Parts: sequence; structure tokens; C-alpha cells
Amino acid sequence: MSAVMEAAPTATRKQSQNSWAAVIALALFEARRLLITIPVLLGFLVYAAWIVWRAQDYADGYPALQDADRATQGGPLLVGLAVLLAVNQAVLRSLRRDTERHFTVLVMSRAHRTAAHLLSVVPAALLTAVCVAGQFGWQALKPGALGHGSLGELLVGPLTVLAFGAAGVLIARVIRTPFTAPLVVVFFLFLFLLSTGAGIDEGWTRWLTPVIGVSSSNTLPSDLIGRPAAWHALYLAALGLTVALLAMLAGGGHRARSVYAGFAGALALTVLGAVAQGQGVSSEVTAARERATLHPEHVQTCVERDGSRYCAFPEWRGRTAEWARTVAEVRSLAGGTAHDQSLLVRQRLDARYGLDGDAALDPATTPHQVTVGTTWGGNRVPEFSAAVAGVLVTGDEKTTGELCDGRMVTIMWLALAGQSDPIGSLKNVRLDDSVSGSAIVLSQTNPLSMTAGQTTVVRKLLEQPRDGVAAKVRTNWTELTSPKVTTARVAELLGVKAKVGADKCN
Amino acid sequence: MTSTVSAEGLSLHYGGTRALDDVSLRLTRGVTGLLGPNGAGKTTLLRVLATAVPADRGAFTVLGNDPGTARGRQEVRRRLGYLPQTPGFHPDFTAFEFVDYVAILKELTDRGARHREVRRVLDEVDLGDVRGKRIKKLSGGMRQRVALAASLIGDPGFLVLDEPTVGLDPEQRMRFRELIARAGEGRTVLLSTHQTEDVAMLCHRVVVMAGGRIRFDGTPAELTAVAAGRVWNSAERDPGAKAGWRTGTGSFRNVGHPPAGADLTDPTLEDGYLLTLDDAGVEVAAA
Amino acid sequence: MRLSGALLVPVLRTLPWRALGAAGAVGLLIVSMARLSDAADEPLALNLLRAGVLAFTLGLAFVLDDPARHTTTPVPTRRPARHALRVALVAPVTAAWWTAAVLLVPDGIRPPVGDVTLEAGAAFTLALAASAAAVRFSQAAEPGQAVAGAVLTTAVLGLLLWPERWALFVATQDPKWAQAHDRWGMVLVGAVVVWGACGPEPLRRRVVLKPTRV
Repeated sequence: MSAVMEAAPTATRKQSQNSWAAVIALALFEARRLLITIPVLLGFLVYAAWIVWRAQDYADGYPALQDADRATQGGPLLVGLAVLLAVNQAVLRSLRRDTERHFTVLVMSRAHRTAAHLLSVVPAALLTAVCVAGQFGWQALKPGALGHGSLGELLVGPLTVLAFGAAGVLIARVIRTPFTAPLVVVFFLFLFLLSTGAGIDEGWTRWLTPVIGVSSSNTLPSDLIGRPAAWHALYLAALGLTVALLAMLAGGGHRARSVYAGFAGALALTVLGAVAQGQGVSSEVTAARERATLHPEHVQTCVERDGSRYCAFPEWRGRTAEWARTVAEVRSLAGGTAHDQSLLVRQRLDARYGLDGDAALDPATTPHQVTVGTTWGGNRVPEFSAAVAGVLVTGDEKTTGELCDGRMVTIMWLALAGQSDPIGSLKNVRLDDSVSGSAIVLSQTNPLSMTAGQTTVVRKLLEQPRDGVAAKVRTNWTELTSPKVTTARVAELLGVKAKVGADKCN
Repeated sequence: MTSTVSAEGLSLHYGGTRALDDVSLRLTRGVTGLLGPNGAGKTTLLRVLATAVPADRGAFTVLGNDPGTARGRQEVRRRLGYLPQTPGFHPDFTAFEFVDYVAILKELTDRGARHREVRRVLDEVDLGDVRGKRIKKLSGGMRQRVALAASLIGDPGFLVLDEPTVGLDPEQRMRFRELIARAGEGRTVLLSTHQTEDVAMLCHRVVVMAGGRIRFDGTPAELTAVAAGRVWNSAERDPGAKAGWRTGTGSFRNVGHPPAGADLTDPTLEDGYLLTLDDAGVEVAAA
Repeated sequence: MRLSGALLVPVLRTLPWRALGAAGAVGLLIVSMARLSDAADEPLALNLLRAGVLAFTLGLAFVLDDPARHTTTPVPTRRPARHALRVALVAPVTAAWWTAAVLLVPDGIRPPVGDVTLEAGAAFTLALAASAAAVRFSQAAEPGQAVAGAVLTTAVLGLLLWPERWALFVATQDPKWAQAHDRWGMVLVGAVVVWGACGPEPLRRRVVLKPTRV
């Protein structure tokens, strides 16, 4: 009698533990192979490059974390598709290589092998989670980062990879041909990557796709975003689980009652998530959006700095110091009463359309009130300083917006002379990135317009030493800021020799 | 000796074909050879005994376990090694990875112990040096040994080998015989083959199948004895012979019913095999 | 010619019709969205056609798969002839599929047919050239799956990473449309050249020179 025969049949419980341990071992084996298949390697490589590229993209603005969380969602789609393809090929491997005949008589059942393939996707999802965390953490650790990320939005990337992986196993268990998965990938690719922007559905159905883009570049306070992020994460997780359990049913698990029960439960959760996320924006959020848009003073807190008031939404409180620094810079160059003029800097936004629309803000009509938006850094700084200069010169924002005379030169010089690279900033605040000719100047509210003559004068002033020009500005402040001054006269007062055409309004 | 595998009345139909027809069999430790022409039902019998397909009728036990129940089948599979005819491979796996994969599917879960076991079986089939090579880089004989190694994983008590020596060159075949003989020490091995020399050299017992039935069950010497007095030499082809061929010496070697006064010669196992098939009414190709 | 006639039926039977059928069906399904969706416009139709072409291209990647390659190689009929016969049999099907795909796009939003056909032709030829290269440089009998994977990966990476300077995937309104289609023409020519170069069976293996140790 051989030793094997003498071994008494072990208890069932121990054996089932053993088979799950074997499932884990197979899942680890398959996961290791999955991560080194060419599509997955390329997928992660491109994903990593995308993360780095996106980080560069943000470099000119200070990130708001309620935007940075959503920005982590696009890249994992690519990884997910690669995983779908690779896991599908892994499941079909034993059929393709004719080892199935051998493997069916080995101890592990087909259902357990299906389970192992499903689990083999998990490390790829975890790696995606690490990438997401890295991408988000990179933004969060930047100086000037503010706001709150949402865990629901951050989970979308890894959950997408899981769901796509489960789909890859399901496809292999249902259709045993190697060309199905690439075709499904093409289909998904079109559905999720190419069709973005084209005919976005406004209804609840748009939430059924894994990644839902937004059509606006608004940055809103995190409590006004109104995206059902948590419900969507639940929906995605439940969808992935449903697909996985369906794969189990198709892959030999149809005898186990627990799989049916799990499938029914997961399906119910998916439906729950789909319904809950499609409810639209709640009335509380709508009310809060209206309040923040029309009566921001009710939700903002204000601080006093150097005699001016700075009112910001709670998440932006930390940024008032930066605004104050910009205001101080502009004010130090101004003359007359403007030099000591106290201002009210109020953060304003139009949140009524959520993230679905961009609405321009109307300029403030209150004297000495300056509007600041929700984004900061890069071009937003000279845009803000232009608004400050405009209010210092004309008295209020609305007048600045309608202005078309020589005061424009003073405003632009005040706004830009304090910047570290005045000519570069001039280029950046102009819509067409030019330093000559007429152009639109971007602003937080209504845009300003510069004539070719004004541009020439401003450029020549910016090229001169700042202190010299500042002295002339202070000396001639009253005339420079009088409503009827022409650009030619301003040029003369400030000692710029240039051909300046007549001021014209459009 | 106690039987380790015993089958009673196994039958299996594929459509209208009787692949197995009331097969009863008892196997003991050591190597048992399974001979038979193509289509005799050898592979079907092996697949049934390896629990790959259930039989239509009949029952069998392997090492005391009944594969008719779900738990019994698992127990059989834990104690079974199976080398299928033309085994498939995953060409991108290394020899080690492939055998490791099979070991996982055999539910060897302790990673360290499993890797030791994989190295042990690869050493056992003399593939220790190339275990890191991808299978697509290995020769046909080496691949066959990888498959044998995979079937030896977990020290199975019952080893089912379906024509493992097909396509091997004589030297490789010798090595393979050595491996199988070694594997047969302390195990029950059922070896299906077309090579009567394999049986003659390896097996303590031989079973001949034809038409889905067992036609002979005994020792190799007994099978050889079937042809005693039925093999003779003649100068010309003997019309009464079931089979006959010109040998290298120029004379004819005949198998069948010898005429009176024939020049009788010592039979071989193959002669006994051919005559067993002939007695069973199976066409024996006359050369 | 008689030889081709005799080979016609067997080759017809060995062609991967299931892969082509599935690819064609998915392709048409994608393109049909141009007709079904109310919001469809020309850029969307162009994207749909491109996605459809990609789907069909994946099917074409299987055309040179020959499970009996190791049996059919040592015969007097040369590989280019055998491959050409396969492609000739698939060509009318491809043409019919493309016609159907183009007709599925409603009249008003159909991109310029000639230019889009050039893109499709270049993609199809590229897949065949890739298969021919796989057959030429490996011993695999059925490289289709690997080729399909490579074609898909190339397409995705091409869409994402192709430098703007040599833009290929441009919109119809783009001023670079004509320039891009000159490039598509070059892609087509390049694919034909690669295919032609990979067609003949090599007479001897090229030995990679290894640096010898002194």
C-alpha cells in the first residue's frame, strides 16, 4: 500500500480551504504573467506618460483637489482595455494550446480556475490605484493646492480596470474565439474614448459609462459639484462584480447556489447604483449653488489685510494672502488716492449650471470691488492684477470693462510691471498671445480690449526700468486716470515716442 | 498483490460507435502495458480512468476512491498523474513555469514546497538544466519529458500515460523507458503504446484491446506464448500465413497456422500480439 | 492559372470567415450609429468609419493564418502566390463590406469617400503587411491573434501619440486634410512595400553576427 493510499481523506473544510489557497496561487501566477504581457505593459507605460504629461499641464495653475480627483479617470481606461485583452487571452490559452484536455483532469475545477483568472486582474487594479494615488498626491502636495478630493471620483480608475478585466474573462468564457476581445476593445474604445464630446447624453444614461467627462472647466467649491461620485463608484464596483459573477456562472460555477445569490445581489446593487446616480442634482445642492452665485457673501468668510477686505469661499481661505500680495504690488505702483485705496476683493463664481456649462461673470458694479475667480496661478495672476489695476484707475469693474481710452495703458502697465516677466505676462493675458497689434485681454469678468497703439505704448513702458516709469505715473496720476485722456496724450506724459492711432471703441 | 485500480463493466458510446464495451480490469502496482490497434478504445479507456469522461455504464475505483461521486473524483484526481496523447504546451512558459502551473492546478498550495516538488520532478526527467528555458525552444523529446514531469507532480499513486514514446528517437525512447520504469516503482502505471518492445521491456503485465473490448490480459510471457508454435521460417512466402515478411536474411518469417514440418522459430511478444488480434477477428495487415 | 482554379475552393474554405464575419459585423454595428443617432454629424461619422475600419482590420489580421502552414510550406506553389490567392478571395468581401459601411453613413454627413477609402485601404494593407511580416519572421502557423493585438495597440497608440507634425487622424474641416491624405498615401505605399518584401520565402537564414571575443 502506498503512502498516498494510507493518507486518510482529510476533512472537507480543510480541503475547501486548500482549494481556495490554490485559487490564490493560480491568481498570483496569472497576475504576474498578466502584468508582463505586451498590451498591459504598453498600457501602463502610456498611462504613466499621460500622468506626467497631465502634471506638466497643471503646472501653470494651482490645483483644486475637487478637479484633480476627476483628472485621474481618463488614463485607467486605456489600462482597462489592455487588461481586458490580456486576461481574455490568458483564459483562452489552455484552449488555444490544447492543454485543456490535461487540465480538466487536474484537481482544480473550471469554476475555481475562472475565479483565479478574475482575481488575477486585482493586482493590475491595485497598481492603477497606486498610479491614481500618485497622480492625485502629486497635485495635493503642490504648494497652493486646496479643496477636497472625493474618494468616489478617485476609485473610478481602479474600478474601471477591475470591471474591464472581469469583462475580459466573461468574454472568454462565453465566446471561445481569440478575435472577440480585440473587437470588443475597438467597440469600447470608440464608445469611451472617441465619442467623448460628440453627442453627450444629458440624461441619466450618461452615467452608465465608467468615466463621465464634464463640459466645463469651472472650478467649484467641492460641496457645489453635485456629481454622484459615491453612487457611481458603487455602481462601477457592483457592475464589475456582476460581470465577474456572470463569468463564474459561464465558467463552471453554475452548480453553486452561492454564485447565483451573489449574482442576484450584485445585479441589485448595480441597478441601485444606476438609479441613485441618475437622480440628478439634489435640490439642496441647487439651492446652495444659487446662494453661492447670487449671494456669495452669505457663505464666504472675509479677512482684513493691509486695509483691504478679502472674501473667499471657505476652501479658498488660504489663498487670500496671495491675492493681498498681488493687490499690494499693483497699489504700490499707483499714485494719488489709489495708492492707499482700500478694496473689497470678493471671490465670485457662477455655479448655477454646475459643471455642465461655462457662464461668464458680470463685472461688479460696486465701487472698489474686485472679482477673483476660483482658479489661481499662471495666467490667472496677471488677469487678477489687471482687474485690480482697472478698479484702482476707474473706480469699479463695470467701467473698466467699457473703457476705451488712454487709461488702458496705465491699467495694463500697473497690472504687469510688478510681474516677474512683464512682457511674457502681457503675451499670456492677451487672447492671441501677441505683443503687438490690437487684442482682447482676458479677465475674470468681461474682457478688455487693447488697440495696436496702446499695445505698443504698454510694451515700450514695460521694457523701461520700472521705477522710472512709476515715478512718472505717480506725478501724472490725475491726468492719466481722467476719463477723457487719449492714448497719444498718455504716451506723451510717460515719455514714449510711438505712433499711436486714435482710440476707438468697438 | 492487491489491486489498486479496478474497473467493472465499463461501456462508452460515441454516437453509434462502441468505444468501450464492457471492459473489466484490475491493475496492481508496477507498469501495465495497454496494446491495441488505432481505434481499439485505448485512449477512451485511459480518459475514463483519468476521470476526463464519465463512462455510460460500469464503475471503477482508483486507490479506494469512487470517481462516480464529486468528492471521490476529487480524491482520484489528487492521486492521479495523466499524460495525454499529444499533450499541449504553453510555448511562452518556461519548463518550470509550465510544470508549476500544473502543480497549482493540482492544488499544491505551499509555494516553497511546490517549487521544490517542481524542481524534483524536472530533475527526475533530467530537465533540471533547461528548466528556465521557454518550451518553444525545447526539442520534441524534451517537451515530452516536460509533460511526463507534469504528470509526476505530487507523487501520484496512479499514472496514466497515453502513448508517451510516440515520435521519440531510439535514444530518447530508451531514456523514456528508464523514466517510466523508475516511475513504476511503488506506483500503478497504465501505459498505452504501439511499441511492443516498450511492453516487453517495461511491463509486468499487458492488456490487449480491440474493438472496445479486452482481448488479452496476462504477463508479457503469456502473450508471447500465444504465438508458441505458430511462427516459422520458409524460403518463399507461405500462402497459409496470417502475416509474413521477408527478413534481412532473405527467408520469409510467417505467423499463423504453420504447415506440417515447418521450420518453427521462437516467437516474440509482437507475434503473440498479432495472433491475439487475429484470433479476435481483427484484420492483421499482411506485408 | 489552372492551379489557382484548383486551389480556389480549398483556400476559400480555409479562410478565417468567422473572424472576418465577426469583425465585419462589429464594424457595421459601429458605423450604423451614424444612421441611428440623431446627434450624428460629420466628425462623428468620420470617427465611426475609422473605428469600423479598425474593427474590420482586426479581422483581416487573421487572413494569412494557416493552421497547416508546416505542411503547405514545402510545396512548389510559392508563398506569394498562396497569399495573393487568399487576399484575392478576401478582396471582394472587403470591397462589399466597405461599400456597405460607407452607404450606412447618411448622405449629408458622409466624409469625402475617396479620401476615407484611402485611409481604409492603407489600414487594411497595413494589417496584411503585418501578417506577412509575422509569417516571414516567425515560424508561427497562426500569427493572427498576435497581429491583431499589435494592430490594435498600434492604432490606439497612434491615435494618442502620433506627432501633430505628421498628423494622420485629422477632421474633415481641418486645413491639413489634404496633407494628411498625402501621408495616408505614403502609409499605403509603405505597407505595400513591406508586404512585397515579406512575401517571398527566404532561401537562407540571415545569421546575426555576434561580436567575437579575442
